[in-house]
Amino acid sequence: MIRQPNVVFGNSRLLVTMGGKGELFGFFYPRRDYAQHVEDSLACIYNGNKLLWLNSHEWYSTQEYIEDSNIVSTELSHGSGIKISIIDFVHPEVPILIRKFKFHSKKQLRGKFFYYSNLNVGEMNKKNSCFCDSDEKLLVQYWQDYYIGLKGIPDFKEWQVGKSMDTIWWTNAKYDMEDGKLQNNKEDIGQLNNALGWDLDIEAGGETEITVLIGAAQKRTRLYKSMRELANQPIDNVFEKTRDNWIMWLSKKNVLSLPVLGEHNVAKQEMFSAYNRSLLTLNLLNDEKHGSFIAAPEFDSNFEMCGGYGFCWNRDGVEVVLALLDAGYPEYCDRFFKWCEKTQLSDGSWFQRYWLDGNTAPSWGNFDYSTQVDETGATLHAIDTYYRSLKGITKVEFLEDMWALVLRGAEYLMKRSRRGVHDSCIDLWETYYGRFSYTNASVYAGLVAAAHIAEKYDESGLADRWVKHADFVKMKTIEKLWLNEGYFAKGIINKKLDPTVDASILGMIVPFNMLSPNNREERAMIYSIIKNIEEKLRIKVNDHYGILRYEGDNYIEGNPWIVTTLWLSKTMLSLAIALQSESGSEKQVRQLVIDATDYIKWSLRGTTSTGLLSEQVDKFTGYPAWAIPLGWSCALMLDNIRLLDKIR
Amino acid sequence: MFSTADETANVIWFDISYADTISSQADIMRFFADNNVNIRFGYLDNTGQAKKGKYIIFTQVNKNVDMEKLAADLKGLDVVQDVEYGISSNKMIQSVEFPLNLLGERAVIARATTFVDIIRTLYENVSQSDGLLMLSGLKGGINAARYFKGITTIDESNFKDVLKELFMATGWGILDVECDCETMSGRIFVHESFIADNFKESERPVCGYMSGYFAGFITEVVGKTMHVREVRCKSMGHDVCEHIISLAPEGAKLEHLLRGDIT
Repeated sequence: MIRQPNVVFGNSRLLVTMGGKGELFGFFYPRRDYAQHVEDSLACIYNGNKLLWLNSHEWYSTQEYIEDSNIVSTELSHGSGIKISIIDFVHPEVPILIRKFKFHSKKQLRGKFFYYSNLNVGEMNKKNSCFCDSDEKLLVQYWQDYYIGLKGIPDFKEWQVGKSMDTIWWTNAKYDMEDGKLQNNKEDIGQLNNALGWDLDIEAGGETEITVLIGAAQKRTRLYKSMRELANQPIDNVFEKTRDNWIMWLSKKNVLSLPVLGEHNVAKQEMFSAYNRSLLTLNLLNDEKHGSFIAAPEFDSNFEMCGGYGFCWNRDGVEVVLALLDAGYPEYCDRFFKWCEKTQLSDGSWFQRYWLDGNTAPSWGNFDYSTQVDETGATLHAIDTYYRSLKGITKVEFLEDMWALVLRGAEYLMKRSRRGVHDSCIDLWETYYGRFSYTNASVYAGLVAAAHIAEKYDESGLADRWVKHADFVKMKTIEKLWLNEGYFAKGIINKKLDPTVDASILGMIVPFNMLSPNNREERAMIYSIIKNIEEKLRIKVNDHYGILRYEGDNYIEGNPWIVTTLWLSKTMLSLAIALQSESGSEKQVRQLVIDATDYIKWSLRGTTSTGLLSEQVDKFTGYPAWAIPLGWSCALMLDNIRLLDKIR
Repeated sequence: MFSTADETANVIWFDISYADTISSQADIMRFFADNNVNIRFGYLDNTGQAKKGKYIIFTQVNKNVDMEKLAADLKGLDVVQDVEYGISSNKMIQSVEFPLNLLGERAVIARATTFVDIIRTLYENVSQSDGLLMLSGLKGGINAARYFKGITTIDESNFKDVLKELFMATGWGILDVECDCETMSGRIFVHESFIADNFKESERPVCGYMSGYFAGFITEVVGKTMHVREVRCKSMGHDVCEHIISLAPEGAKLEHLLRGDIT
């Protein structure tokens, strides 16, 4: 089932996605892409008469992060006078989710608190096994070497292990809760669900607390030990430790001052918060062990309405690591490029997308004609950007490590662009076959990057050859794809020039630098591209304009994208920075900054209540749409704010 | 359904609100007869409000008739409070009011084949489809029983009759219910089950949705957890569908299944 989260949190081995009422949507362990063990996991109250499910419309909810952390606070209130505060976080070191529920009731309440879960451990909806150890007060469900455990503080009083999809319906834990008491069945196999129960007796105006721990481990004994150990620790101490851990991680960032915003403290604060939230989010999308990133936490694993997002694309990955590099976190580059070394195909290119461990992911790009050449160009460009940021022995070692990769990648780009315009492949939106302006820019940038690295590696012959071909690619791109109307065509599709305005032509400027704002002629082209994109792709939502991907885009109803909107503002800011050193350009710089800031603020109006940046903004409602959170959107937000910080 | 009206006539529908007196319906009928309006199909509903009724009539009216005048004259009758009318351009006749209401909720009309197609699709594509259908039926049965409990007295003494009438009214089938209310054991025979009749041939019982419905309904009414399972099904060549009713065993563990305590 497709369910978009309102919030995400976790640690390096556990990623949790959750709805706005504290219902779990995803529980990814041990990797961000696999395995997702939860179908349903949420709480309800039995009020002596009926079940009040916390995700029902009867509850009003607010949800936010605790500042500068990946700790979530959810407040729920019910018309009957019950209020629930939930604090959710994952222990910094072990894969255990801590869910602290605090109940308040205006009236006397004699009822039960039930915590219900329908787990598909190992992403298997069969062959699971579940048992409740009533001595240990630990409920465990497992499949192969995945063990998921639930425990309460205080201990739960009752429980049920039942079949979730069987004709013997009265064992089903969901139905078993209806009468306010559980049957305490201790074990079962198959497609299962379970419930834990506590007495919930609150005097009028009184409060009580129950904490639910949901842990994961690869061995039963390990799960027992870690759950027991954590249950014996004061949860408030664990909370403080977790918060300190996040604050510490954030403290490594490059600090912002944003002088261009002057005394606009609200605007500044908004940018600071967006900067921090984007950093904290990208941390959660990263696989620390392998160095790769998911594009977004998976929410359509059956590929019902798209191809899924819980995989690593080089295109997205390089955007993310370069943004993190610029924000003060170079270690992500290092790990990611080592992952690239491992995943490069024998022909020098990269596959459409990968599992985080480097295995090729489900793909509709298995052939030369259906591959995405831009991913190879973008990877080489990013490697050189990182290389340029290094110093001393680290720089030397990185060059040694990367040379073979760069050589193979550059020769692949040479082979696929002999005529100056690349061979037919799929575009960056993974939708069209043809030869594209954006992809050609990536080939140009990849070859320029490779040439720079070759030069440093004392391979001047190769460097010369690659840079000459890069110039040829640039020349052919302008000759064949620049239109009299003042922008680059989307590409050549079915052997015909496609004049559709596509926001990805911004790639000519950022990140691929095929057009330079420092060159007057090219600067005019950049202005013209911006003008055409604003004329053709702006759509009004949330009292301002977002940018569509391209004219006639129908994917998920053709919404404006955060990515394309922030891509445009990034282009504007890059132009502004180039101009600010020229005298007499103050007015132009000011206008570019105002326009870019409006687009950034528009993007922030389309976040979740917790500040997560999505892929799109719903054109009808103004709410975040589709993939949430999207790493690429976060990366572009970081880029934009860092550029804004450089405006004087 | 479609009218067989001739080409010189239109099918006109009337929605007539009237004061529910002893002569109201006769007065309205007389008006149509006096104006040469041929009534093809109609139904009335006097259950909504006291002393107020609604008549839905589909008529065949010559194309030359001034409909505005006819409707105004109809509204001029003492017993008539309001009149709406319209031309059914495709000569289609609604057999029920729109939107249709059943057990206090919005209902729709679907051919039995539609429901059976859904069941077939589940069987072909979904693991544990029997359980899924049982749980779906269970919800329906629980909700239906709650509805009846809200409007009338329903208990062990009359639930069998309510179920029989409900199944007949909805066109699901004709029931014979044998149930010992002491032991809560018995059987339900479903004649002309809309599922089995349309499913045609099957090697296994196909009315699991009904089993779930019975289980939910009876459980909600008597307050005891009921197990209902279909043991004979017309789709398997039996002359009738038979569902066994029993109290659910305490828990339901694998050993029960292996011993054959649960089928």
